[in-house]
Amino acid sequence: MIKSIDEYLDQLKEQLKGSDSATVQDALSDAEDHLTAALTNLKQEQPDMSEEEAFGQVVEQYGTPSETASAYKEVERLTHPVLASRSPQDQSIIARFFGVYTDARAWGALLYMLIAFVTGVIYFTWAVTGVSVSVSFLIFIFGFPLALLFLLSVRGLALLEGRLVEALLGIRMPRRPLFSHQDMKWFDRLKALLTDKATWLMLVYMLIQFVLGTTYFVLFVTVLSLSLSFIALPFIQLFWNMPVMQWGVERIFLPYWGLVLISIGGLLLWTSFMHLARGIGQLHGRMAKAMLVTD
Amino acid sequence: MVDSSALTKKFQKELNSGLASLVLLSTLRHSEEPMYGYQIAKLLEENSGDSIFMKQGALYPVLRSLEGSGLLESKVEPSVSGPPRRYYEITSEGRETLVVWQGVWEQMKSFVDKAIKGA
Repeated sequence: MIKSIDEYLDQLKEQLKGSDSATVQDALSDAEDHLTAALTNLKQEQPDMSEEEAFGQVVEQYGTPSETASAYKEVERLTHPVLASRSPQDQSIIARFFGVYTDARAWGALLYMLIAFVTGVIYFTWAVTGVSVSVSFLIFIFGFPLALLFLLSVRGLALLEGRLVEALLGIRMPRRPLFSHQDMKWFDRLKALLTDKATWLMLVYMLIQFVLGTTYFVLFVTVLSLSLSFIALPFIQLFWNMPVMQWGVERIFLPYWGLVLISIGGLLLWTSFMHLARGIGQLHGRMAKAMLVTD
Repeated sequence: MVDSSALTKKFQKELNSGLASLVLLSTLRHSEEPMYGYQIAKLLEENSGDSIFMKQGALYPVLRSLEGSGLLESKVEPSVSGPPRRYYEITSEGRETLVVWQGVWEQMKSFVDKAIKGA
């Protein structure tokens, strides 16, 4: 017999073992919301009902943990995230190679590589400032609430990053903040945040994102400008009579076949990079999921 | 001996899984304001009388999947008591889809009725 919401959530989590971790978080926060609201409501309507009886009635209507778990599993089986992969199997290699242009995940990953530069800088600055300010103010009493606020902001940013990763990279991430026990005092809350491995992983992610974001951005800009200039070379030489290279007074022009080759090379380079970007996106998504989604 | 109550339960479950989307979408279509999960569950419970349509816990994954396909949209707002609430609202895409689904349902209903009556 289940006696409290926390107990119900624990059992639900147990029943959902093996499901997608984002689904588990959805299920837990839905159940927590509903059971809290239903219990409050029932107590207002029938104040003389015992706690145990009221909870039993609420669970009776909501469904047992195993019933609820099977409902989520069923829906999870039928739905996929927006950009989830479709497998192109019976296509030629060429069609698959250039098919990347119609793949939303590749474009999403490219966009993510640009955005990661900006978010990386912001996360890094925020994390470093937050940690140093919180730690040094801990000698004063007001350092504690400050640290709590900072750690909560880390959770918030991790959630935001999760939404970004899900939208652009097509990896399922949690849709709600991690559920926490409501009746905690703020000091206990700080302690819970500090001892939670998830908080530290999120902080590390914010630091790593700076390095990764810069790398992604440099890669993106370098390959884009190289490919574009390769593709544009024939036009520049033919219409503006500008050489490929200038060596003192010597001006080097490419023969026509060279121009065609280098132009095709530019196109191939960019197309390969789109494949690479998609791969990087998937890897990054998996890393983000491992670090930002907690069980 | 066939366990008829288990079979009935399974039948009910299979029937519900498709209809829940239609019911939830219609409920939110008729509602003037965005609603949160418990509110929807409560309303359905009042309308259903004695017969239990489905467990309330099973409504939430359907809401989430409808949101995932763009037929609903949601926003989280803090509440006075307890955790923040997720409010669901039908999108214009959802309204269009609902009209189509209602058509499908009408057809299905008359087909099933005919089959049952043996006409």
